[in-house]
Amino acid sequence: MGLAPYLIISMILFILGIVVMMARKNIIAILLGIELILNASALNFVAYSRFLTNNIDGHIFSLFIIVVAAAEAAVGLAIVIRFFQVRKSIHIDEAVWLNDEV
Amino acid sequence: MNGGLIPYLSGFDWFNQTIKSTSAFLSFDTTSLLSFLIYAVFASLLVFLVLMPIGGLGTYAERKISADLQARIGPNRVGPYGILQFLADGIKMVLKEDIVPVGADRFVFYLAPLLAMVGVFMTVAVLPLSSGLTMVHLDIGVFYLLAVSSLVGIAVFLGGYAPNSKWSLLGGMRGASQIISYEIPVVISVLAIVLLSGGMSFDVLVGSQGGLPHRWFLFHNPFTFLAFFVYFVGALAEANRAPFDLPEAESELVSGYHTEYTGMRFAFFALAEYVEVFVLCAVAAALFLGGYNVPGELLKDHPLGQLLQLGAFFTKTLILYYVVIWVRWTLPRIRVDQLMTICWKYLTPIALFNLVGCALWMYCFDGKSIVSLLFESGVGAASGGH
Amino acid sequence: MFLTVLFFLSATLTIASGIMVVVVRNLMHSCMALLGCFIGVAGLYVTLGANFIAAVQFMVYVGGVIILMLFAIMLTGNKPEEKVGSFLLPAMGNRRTLTWGLITALVFFLSVGKILLGMFGIGLGKKTAPTDPSLFESTVDEIGTLLLTDHVLAFEMSSVLLLGALIGAAIIARPETSKEK
Repeated sequence: MGLAPYLIISMILFILGIVVMMARKNIIAILLGIELILNASALNFVAYSRFLTNNIDGHIFSLFIIVVAAAEAAVGLAIVIRFFQVRKSIHIDEAVWLNDEV
Repeated sequence: MNGGLIPYLSGFDWFNQTIKSTSAFLSFDTTSLLSFLIYAVFASLLVFLVLMPIGGLGTYAERKISADLQARIGPNRVGPYGILQFLADGIKMVLKEDIVPVGADRFVFYLAPLLAMVGVFMTVAVLPLSSGLTMVHLDIGVFYLLAVSSLVGIAVFLGGYAPNSKWSLLGGMRGASQIISYEIPVVISVLAIVLLSGGMSFDVLVGSQGGLPHRWFLFHNPFTFLAFFVYFVGALAEANRAPFDLPEAESELVSGYHTEYTGMRFAFFALAEYVEVFVLCAVAAALFLGGYNVPGELLKDHPLGQLLQLGAFFTKTLILYYVVIWVRWTLPRIRVDQLMTICWKYLTPIALFNLVGCALWMYCFDGKSIVSLLFESGVGAASGGH
Repeated sequence: MFLTVLFFLSATLTIASGIMVVVVRNLMHSCMALLGCFIGVAGLYVTLGANFIAAVQFMVYVGGVIILMLFAIMLTGNKPEEKVGSFLLPAMGNRRTLTWGLITALVFFLSVGKILLGMFGIGLGKKTAPTDPSLFESTVDEIGTLLLTDHVLAFEMSSVLLLGALIGAAIIARPETSKEK
């Protein structure tokens, strides 16, 4: 396996993530799209580290990407749950006001 | 593909002959393909012939031991002492109607039992049954095991969600929160042992212990002694065993996340649970109780030595298995708030304390166990006295 | 051979479930597809010799993030006056947003494709042999050493980040207590 298949898979994942983020109106679904994008970038780092460099710094990068993704998911979902308590909905169009007096 | 099986087989003529003829037939070198196929068949046979009966015999042992503890007789109809009861149960499970509740999410309903099975049976790949009979000598063995078994949490959650039933939903939510909470003390106490032995592979973990109790990690220092109990309590909770069987508490939730499952799908959940208990006991035996090490390293390079190692491993594991069942029929079930209190206010701080303590012990005493320290200082004092 | 088989299986799983995430209209099924995608990416890591990263991927995404997502989905149903059930999960977008998404995808595909074509043009894509195969036999020691030497600042910072995320998530998601009297 060369480098090309991994880059193409990663590109497809990234684009699918973008489509999910654009097309969905549900905040949790948008978070799913963000996870896809982060996975695509982490995959790229590991692939480059394997084929182009003589060290495994790419692994470290993708470890940190996973750490940041986990933190982002936890805080993002906490915000979603809080938002649902206030607005009784997780539709993204509900999130256009800054105060809760609609 | 480092199982040791292929190098062994390549010593035979028929094996090389087969490779040659298939290579001529398929017009490419089939060595790796054939070894892959042989390996896959070997692994599946091991899973089906060894671990399925262990799951089945687990149900038998549970019923028989509980009967003993309650002064009953237990199953005694099928086979001598009722030992074939699990086969009868299995046949009954296959023959039952497969019911999907109205309003169930069919896709997820079918997916959940499979995830439970897959998650548990994937862990078996790295179990160190003996020094020769480990399917994969993975460099991240114990970490792989802990990572893969987290599929069971998802399976429990989905099994609760899919049938659209309130009992299942409550059980599933409880189960998932319990499993991800108790993963933390379990992982941290395993980490203490990884720190001591300096590797995550089961070869290193088991190899740095010895056959006799004074060389087990359990008695290495006071912190690992505590870590064993933290691990064991956490493992009980992770496998949803009593006294932590809140996800399937019969008296409140009918049967929790597998209430709505029938026939083989229910059997998948039950089998996954029993095999998971076995796997967690095996990990406890390998990490803390010396694993497959035989006292005195008897017959180390002889084929019979492998049998002795298997015997040592299974003895330790099955004793722990007995303790699990014993605990289940002795202790009452705890409440949900007590469950979370035990995890977050007691086990996690103790596990962190153990980790730091082990690190300090390694730093101060250069990784020597408490027994060797006492022994050496005793010898030093005796020789110095003269 | 084994790695080739694993690569094709993982790649198929990754892309198929990635497409499922986009196409499926049920949020729960979408989350299941995301689970498949994570497992596929873990398989791809294994084919790259990154065993440790694959296990971390399993541990964090499958054991943590997916369960968090499932909890969030269960805790945020529909509006209370509407029916609640597995078939009636919240709105997943309409044709207009999907069109915009596809247009964005096209733009991204063209731009990223141009970059990739440029890379493959100078022969990077055909690069197969790892520069130092022995490096990828067991990466755990190497990762541990690197984390505590070259990357120790980022390592410590990430622990602070995780602590902040933990406390922040706990405080944000805490149910509203009764107002002060």
